[in-house]
Amino acid sequence: MAVNVNSKVSYIFKKREFGIFLFILILLAVFGAIEPRFFRSDNLSAILSSVGILMVVGAGQTLVIVTRNIDLSVGSTLGLAAMVMGMVARSKPDFPIIGLIIIAMVVGGICGVLNGLLVSYGKIPSIIATLGTLAIIRGAVFVVSNNVQIDPNDVPKGIIALSTTSPIGIPWLLIFAFLAIVLVWYVSSQTLLGKRVYAVGSNPEAAVSRGLSFNKITIMVFIFVGVLAGLGGVLYTARYATINPADVGRGLEFDVISAVVIGGTNIFGGSGTALGTALGCILIGILSNGLTVVGVSPFWKACATGFLILAAVAIDNLVRKKQEENFLLAIRNQRVVK
Amino acid sequence: MSSLIKAPSRFKVPSYLIGPILILVIAMIYGSLGSEYFLQPSSIIFNTGRYIEIGLLALALTFVIINGDIDLSVASTLAASAGVLAKMWAAGVPIFWCCIAAIFTGFILGLINGLIVIKLGLPSLVVTLATLALYRGITQVMLGDGVVANYPENFVGFDQRLVIGGNPGLPAPLALFIAASLIFYFILHRSNYGIKNIMSGSNPSSSKFSGIDVNSVRLTAFALSGTVCGLCAVMITSRLGSTISNVGLGLELLAITVVVLGGTDIFGGRGAISGTVVSLFAIMAVREALVIQDINGQVQDAVIGLLLILTVLVPRIRSYYIEKRNRKKRFNEAQRNA
Repeated sequence: MAVNVNSKVSYIFKKREFGIFLFILILLAVFGAIEPRFFRSDNLSAILSSVGILMVVGAGQTLVIVTRNIDLSVGSTLGLAAMVMGMVARSKPDFPIIGLIIIAMVVGGICGVLNGLLVSYGKIPSIIATLGTLAIIRGAVFVVSNNVQIDPNDVPKGIIALSTTSPIGIPWLLIFAFLAIVLVWYVSSQTLLGKRVYAVGSNPEAAVSRGLSFNKITIMVFIFVGVLAGLGGVLYTARYATINPADVGRGLEFDVISAVVIGGTNIFGGSGTALGTALGCILIGILSNGLTVVGVSPFWKACATGFLILAAVAIDNLVRKKQEENFLLAIRNQRVVK
Repeated sequence: MSSLIKAPSRFKVPSYLIGPILILVIAMIYGSLGSEYFLQPSSIIFNTGRYIEIGLLALALTFVIINGDIDLSVASTLAASAGVLAKMWAAGVPIFWCCIAAIFTGFILGLINGLIVIKLGLPSLVVTLATLALYRGITQVMLGDGVVANYPENFVGFDQRLVIGGNPGLPAPLALFIAASLIFYFILHRSNYGIKNIMSGSNPSSSKFSGIDVNSVRLTAFALSGTVCGLCAVMITSRLGSTISNVGLGLELLAITVVVLGGTDIFGGRGAISGTVVSLFAIMAVREALVIQDINGQVQDAVIGLLLILTVLVPRIRSYYIEKRNRKKRFNEAQRNA
């Protein structure tokens, strides 16, 4: 038994996520030591709610990056979903909230279908295809809205309440974020579909020759991130209550990809976890909030994010090399014994 | 058989140029419908001034992308170089040395990108995503939210100066761009380095075995890209006459669009300077035509995004149908023979 527990403990220590978790603890300790106000509950809840939108979209992006693709259009998709939802709410004030959420998710899903088709059947590299749709969907936001923004009094109270009211002491916004992470965790580690997604990501040729449909899985993953970006649009509306066609969700793609990469997802596909992404998002949230609370100029935030990404990928790379070495060594030792 | 009958044509438009040339022609026609002055040589030539920085960035990026790398940090490198220029000018250094320092800063930042990518063996997409944030952050820390202006008279307004006078004259930025594209053409298509560049992009490991130092080729491309960013920083400062910390924000996506539209393979190994140059003029024509027709900036971006996708997608669809027809022909022939 003792051996078993020991191996379990060392398993946790060896986990990639543990490193990020440790770093989060260190950051919390540093910020808390400099400025005790950092731990006040309203500050902590501010951090979490700022992270929620990032987490929802990042959960989907994780799976996209696992399949060796990347989706740069998430910011625009979020914007279009929020805008369409806002316009429906403005023209029909008594539309049910759940219907609005479904509309936003469907709009996001349609954007995802477009990306997925371009990448799978169109055989366009995802970075180019989604660079194109980033601009196209942003243009669609303008055309749909006719460059008129949605004002706070046009947004239904029920939507805004998602970021403030709470069933069990946690606002709905965070519950959605949590559910998105759990969903991605469940799909990726407990279902056959998840195994297929990882198989396509780690070796597309082998996966296809094993009978997996590369196109179907790619489209599915892009639809998934689109739907989650649509949900992100709802949360954006809940949090900011204003939808400006020019800057709703602009630049979100960089934050999301940063969070996913910091969370340990390999940009070349094949590995990455929902938990890592969640921790990556929290890390970015704590960092940007902590710098402000401690009194460092907010201009340092971009610098810190850049360093963090570099450090994360550098450490990942070292660990991966070490693992490969150990693996080769183990194989050689086995041969010697035989 | 037909190739024997038909005389081989001496000059053939390369396939990667067909798309951009078509776009250029259509945009010219569309623009001239909006205003009779659109096609006047002087108005065309003077409209180029705003696009030359993008063109120069795209020229340098062509080298990086042919290598199979990508540099997302170009706009941030430009901003950091402009920041150094502004800070030194504000400190009272003569403007000439400020410009030299800006170009040198670009060189160093590009070198840092390259060194991180090569020495640590990390993917350039992630590294330059990190330095995108990092360099922008450095700029923000340097400049804060202030503005540096009051540049000397003889420095400001570089784009208004004429190299060849008369009507239509040759403005300095266009002359610089023509010179730069000739130089880059000779480097890429006529020099030893260019051949090594294309080789190491198309097959890194076989290039390594045939004695090409792939890493130093890649490092040179990154340093070149950085240096050009520094040069563009000087140009953009001279054109705008002031410096703020978000100078050139989002330029990287536009520059990458120009490169990809010009037929350079995003996975490396293929590309041409002529493609980049023609696609720059195509994008310029599209923009100006849409401006003349009074169409909103976001929709302009969307049109360019759509063109980007179409230029990659249409040849794919065409080759798919040609392939299908040939297969049918072969099948019919086989049946007839049987």
